[in-house]
Amino acid sequence: MFAIKLGLRNLTRQKRRNMITAMVIAYAFFAYLLMDSLMNGMEEMSFENIRDLETGNIQIVHSDYWEEREELPLENLVYLDQDVEESLKNIDGLSGISPELRFVANLNNGIDELPVLGLGIDPDRYQEVFTTGEYLVDGSMFSLGENKGVLGEKTAQLMDLKINDYITLLVRTKEDTFNTIDVVIAGIVNTTHPMVNSGTVFVPLDIAQQALNVENSVSLIAIKVNPGYEESVTETLNQNFKRKDLNLNAYSWRESAETVIALSTAKKAGIGVILFVVLLIGIIGIINNVILSALERTEEIGMMKALGMKEMEIVSVFMVEATGIGIIGGLMGCLLGAIGVGLLTKYGFDLSYAGDMTNYGIPILNKIYGVWNFSAFYFLFILGIIVALFSSIIPALWAARKDPVKAIYHR
Amino acid sequence: MALLELNKVKKVYQQGKIEVPALRGVDLEVEEGEFTTIFGPSGSGKTTLLNMIGCLDTPSEGEVKLNGDEVSKLSQTELAMVRRYNIGFIFQAYNLIPVLTAYENVEFAIRLIRHIKENEIREKTSNILEDVGLIGLENRRPNELSGGEKQRVAIARALVKEPKIVLADEPTANLDSETGAEVIKIMVKMNQKLGTTFIFSTHDPQIMKYAKRLLNLKDGMISGDERR
Repeated sequence: MFAIKLGLRNLTRQKRRNMITAMVIAYAFFAYLLMDSLMNGMEEMSFENIRDLETGNIQIVHSDYWEEREELPLENLVYLDQDVEESLKNIDGLSGISPELRFVANLNNGIDELPVLGLGIDPDRYQEVFTTGEYLVDGSMFSLGENKGVLGEKTAQLMDLKINDYITLLVRTKEDTFNTIDVVIAGIVNTTHPMVNSGTVFVPLDIAQQALNVENSVSLIAIKVNPGYEESVTETLNQNFKRKDLNLNAYSWRESAETVIALSTAKKAGIGVILFVVLLIGIIGIINNVILSALERTEEIGMMKALGMKEMEIVSVFMVEATGIGIIGGLMGCLLGAIGVGLLTKYGFDLSYAGDMTNYGIPILNKIYGVWNFSAFYFLFILGIIVALFSSIIPALWAARKDPVKAIYHR
Repeated sequence: MALLELNKVKKVYQQGKIEVPALRGVDLEVEEGEFTTIFGPSGSGKTTLLNMIGCLDTPSEGEVKLNGDEVSKLSQTELAMVRRYNIGFIFQAYNLIPVLTAYENVEFAIRLIRHIKENEIREKTSNILEDVGLIGLENRRPNELSGGEKQRVAIARALVKEPKIVLADEPTANLDSETGAEVIKIMVKMNQKLGTTFIFSTHDPQIMKYAKRLLNLKDGMISGDERR
């Protein structure tokens, strides 16, 4: 107990040095917590964007389509017959179904052409799964059967298009013949997903099916599920398809977002590296502090040994002191981190300085908002204390093993 | 049986390739309750001898016995335990812990002794502080005390655990003659009151006059042993 008291009292010696060490630790903690918050925010936003604006929770596709889905083929489509409709009925946790026809198109404004992703959708069903409609900045969504389209704001700007302008989508039909889809721009969207904003044109599903000559087929059926039901709905769907002998498969959004998931995994490794650097800073700070303290208190260590203190008792005095610095630095770091994360969650971090994040495969525009990860605070604080405690042992042992005679007379 | 017994104690320090003898075969017996001064010129081996007696150092040859038990062959941890329970130290530079008050500096020594009850610690600490005349100054930190007061704290710290021997290496060297005499008088008083054995080294003839036994150390050997 006295070692604890003495160790804590020793914190009041060399206040400036102790404070500098604590502040270095605090800064390292602060930087880590901000980075962790931003990384998690980026991951969460990326995943939300993918789920809410690109894939839904689950995608149902023909087994042979999946491998070639990036090519947007018009082969191996899902034919929306009674068997398929029945397979999707009465599934617990399933909250939305949106059939989509995805196709390659060239957008023509009468002057220029731009390759785009064409998306044939049933707007009523589409909004059950996706939130795109909430991002309309001009005009409105179309209805089935209308020769109208919706496109992203960036595409509109690029092609100098506005509401009620006419556009032509040049497409190849299933039979590889050319066709066009002529539509009036009904709405312009500006979502948080860069892929939707630039390079996607939405048209009514029936119009697209007719132009591409695919009858009642779609590329995929996007499914939205209630939270926690993704796995069970995927399983039920696959069982239903198997029972009805349909060559369809249900895939989680995670399988469509391999790049982002890979980035997320890389992010975890990156955070690990940052954590290592943070801990290294803490370790060096503490070791430096203990060594300097021991050098300054050589005679005091000698006196302690003369009084009969054992090595481990002297070590414990230094360990308490080092842990105290770790706790102060950790608390300061967590406090600064909380302020920083609070600001990040409220105001976000403007990514425009870093350029277009889509270039790095991150489906986020403009701002990343931080997220609270309280476990990172606990984890870092406790880890910081443990590291401070253990990193002080070796220099403290070095100090405690001094020859008492040499220490007393400072020889 | 003598409290302390040194038989043919030699200590040789290695300085590079040169061997420097500090003690050349000291034979000494000290009885319980003695008040002994070791004097001699600088380099005569006073501090080395005190270190041997205080179990801070071990002899190159010979044996040191405390209460009949040989301590010169003990491990560092065992020596620490011998010091903790049997020996009190008073240093020339006081060596107080600056972040502790006078009371806490004294309390620190007794808290190392296991199995002493809290109220007993408080009582012993307060009593010894009273004995050395520090009542009213208990809550002052070392930087708020004079040299004489600091040394009185050091004496109280050495005595609070009621050791068999108190060793003091030139305890008055940093004090003016008047304060030095006061400190020695306190040591004499405590020697008489508690019966604790005191062994201290000094150069100062004014201080030596208080000693009951004078050991003259010369070139690492006891050249004179006078009892009064």
